[in-house]
Amino acid sequence: MAQATIKERKSLSAWLSQEKVFRLIPFIMVEATFLLLLAIPFMLTIYISLLKWRANRPFEQAYFHGLLNYVRVLTTEDFWWALGRTFYFAGTAVFFELVIGFLLAMLAYKQFRGRRIYITIFLIPMMVVPVVGGYNFSMIYIDSGPLNQILAPITEAMGVNPRIRWLSHPIAAQWAIIIADVWQWTSLTFLIFLSGFTALPQQLTNAARVLGASRWQIFWKVHLPLLKPAIMIAVIIRSMEALKLFDLSVLLTFGGPGTSTETIAFFLWRQVWQFNKYSFGAAASIILLFIFGALIFYGIYLLVRERSIVEEESMR
Amino acid sequence: MKRIFLATLILMGITVFVASTAIAAMMVHPGKTVEERAINGAKAYIKKHNLKNPKQTMLLISLFKNSQPKYLRQWKKLTGVDMGSIQYGYTDIPAKIMAEAVAKTGQYDVINHFPYVIPDAVGAGTLQPLDAYMAKGKPDFTGIDSGLLAQQKYKGKTYWFILDGDHLALFLRSDIMKAAAKEYKAKFGKEPGCPDTMAEWEQMAKFFHTKKGQTRWGMKFDQPLYGAQAYRSINFSYRHFPAYVGGLLFDKNMNPTINTPNGIRAIKEFTSIVKYMPPDVQGWGTPQLYPHWGSGQAFSFMSFPSAMGYANRNPKSKISGHQLACPIPAVKGASGKMVRRAPQAAGTGYMVNAHSKHPELAYYFIQWFTGPTQGDIAIADPAGFWDPMRASNLTNKAVLDKHTEPFVKMTMKNAKNAISLLMIEGNYEYFNVLDKNMAQVMQGNISAEQAAKNVEKGWNRITEDIGRKEQIAAWRASVASGAYIDKFAPTN
Repeated sequence: MAQATIKERKSLSAWLSQEKVFRLIPFIMVEATFLLLLAIPFMLTIYISLLKWRANRPFEQAYFHGLLNYVRVLTTEDFWWALGRTFYFAGTAVFFELVIGFLLAMLAYKQFRGRRIYITIFLIPMMVVPVVGGYNFSMIYIDSGPLNQILAPITEAMGVNPRIRWLSHPIAAQWAIIIADVWQWTSLTFLIFLSGFTALPQQLTNAARVLGASRWQIFWKVHLPLLKPAIMIAVIIRSMEALKLFDLSVLLTFGGPGTSTETIAFFLWRQVWQFNKYSFGAAASIILLFIFGALIFYGIYLLVRERSIVEEESMR
Repeated sequence: MKRIFLATLILMGITVFVASTAIAAMMVHPGKTVEERAINGAKAYIKKHNLKNPKQTMLLISLFKNSQPKYLRQWKKLTGVDMGSIQYGYTDIPAKIMAEAVAKTGQYDVINHFPYVIPDAVGAGTLQPLDAYMAKGKPDFTGIDSGLLAQQKYKGKTYWFILDGDHLALFLRSDIMKAAAKEYKAKFGKEPGCPDTMAEWEQMAKFFHTKKGQTRWGMKFDQPLYGAQAYRSINFSYRHFPAYVGGLLFDKNMNPTINTPNGIRAIKEFTSIVKYMPPDVQGWGTPQLYPHWGSGQAFSFMSFPSAMGYANRNPKSKISGHQLACPIPAVKGASGKMVRRAPQAAGTGYMVNAHSKHPELAYYFIQWFTGPTQGDIAIADPAGFWDPMRASNLTNKAVLDKHTEPFVKMTMKNAKNAISLLMIEGNYEYFNVLDKNMAQVMQGNISAEQAAKNVEKGWNRITEDIGRKEQIAAWRASVASGAYIDKFAPTN
């Protein structure tokens, strides 16, 4: 019996050590991981989205519902409002993150004393856990808190009430979230732009200078075109993240006042975890996947195009 | 022959009745009190199932983290059951309950939460009906008003034991009323005091609303005095709104009653008083409202009963000893009569997880802890947030010492008006539709009429989504139980 087992093991290891089999092992492992982590949950989400299932009824009572969940999502006003709000938050925040990150990187890539310290400081916000960042901002935004104290001389001079209701006024609350997001994630755009600036070929700058180009011309005609791929990367990465905005909305305002800070992620969370609408949530997730997927693929297409243009230009 | 047959039949009937009564009596655990029967029931259960060092867990609202553990230790001393606790904020617990419905882990044996989680949790199969255990333990609910008691049941079965009379009340600043009494009387022909109606409360809020820097009634106001404060944010508005309706939110066929003259009146009254409240009120919950009340910046506060204790005991409070507790003001309700309705906005209680390994053992804990004697001890606990709810609280010295006699008297009077929040499946979604539209009205984005239409449409959509037939059955059962005091109009 024992001998038979040893024989079997030997033949198995011999079979595995064949090159044609051995080569397949990593491939199978990658495929299995893909199936386990992506394909199966994705298929399950699609399956649930086609059912009529609220968690307040046992799953055994769920039944096939066709595409009605999708129709419901698409005809739910709040879904579109939340989506619109998310694009507004993401668009505004990413714009400021790009501008500020770019300016900081422009300053920091030049050699000066204490440069490393500044770079480290600029990168700290990104390392803060979002929950901690959100909590800190909730303290900063209190009506009688530090931000209003700092702004008081300016607001009072402008005849504005110095007690800005950062978290309880519908518009101020939206900006409170945008500011917190900008604070936290400008570090990332800064990092991307800094690496972009550092990678700029010095010969091109020198050549432009020899040819009599001004600083502005060098920046506009040489640096900026070369930085386009970095800009595209920053836009894509940050947009992908910003469209998932959830933690700040929960921590600072819990979607309020009213629904003024309810993002699409928050909307989904509420539908699934508060209202128990699992199949509705699954359908909404699939719709969002298509919307966001289309945007991201378009972004990647632009990035690839920019890269090939830059590469073509550098080949000339 | 006929007579003999009849006599035999009667005799048999009597025998069956006596025998069943005797068997039922034998089934009841020994003990003179509710608590003794619960302890003996737990001991008998442990013995019968031969459990060694039994351990159980409670899913506990984190608000009770300082008060509940000592009772869990006491339970261990009494029965040997080691009851631990896992604490979450009360907004997180409903999701945990629903996750349990899917996972069926039995990780929590006892669940501590509000009654409005019952319909969804029962639908999902997470809650254990307690009636069979109650037959053995014989709990006693005498002295608890019907509106509070009705929340324990859903579709005719008991799932929840109450230990918290957390229905809304109104608190006024007695010091300011005293100072302004003359002027107020000259204007309104009566001394300021507990308002009879919501309209009168708003009138008082308007009168007492004072800007920063003003000098009134011989007092200089260095900070503004807001005429009123109350819960007006998402996740809270729905707990207060029923006080303004003074009737049922649906007719007997689950058609919303909000888009009616009475519903629109309720929305207008609910939102109108906001102009005398702090401008931030739409973003405030308890952590903001209680300190603001204690800071003396408001004249009146419609709130959970614990607001008064908070403002009396908090060392930073500027209004300690200067509060007058009032029952909920009346509104001209759907019936056309003046009615007072105090929503049981946050009353906590205890349930048993249907997936617990030992649900009966978990039951005995909740019978013991919510019993008339033990429950009163908890209500008197200085570290606890359990509010008076039994008639016995009126004479219990420890309860009176903690809550003060005028307050206990008021809240027990107010308990007669206590009503449940909506006890049907998907209630949280119904609440959210209401909250969102109230927020829109308060922000001036839509009119009360438009909000009424929106809410009606949203509520109908939810009803259709869950199943109108099921919702009608649950709604009629909860109305019949007396949970909302009001009944269907005869024409319905």
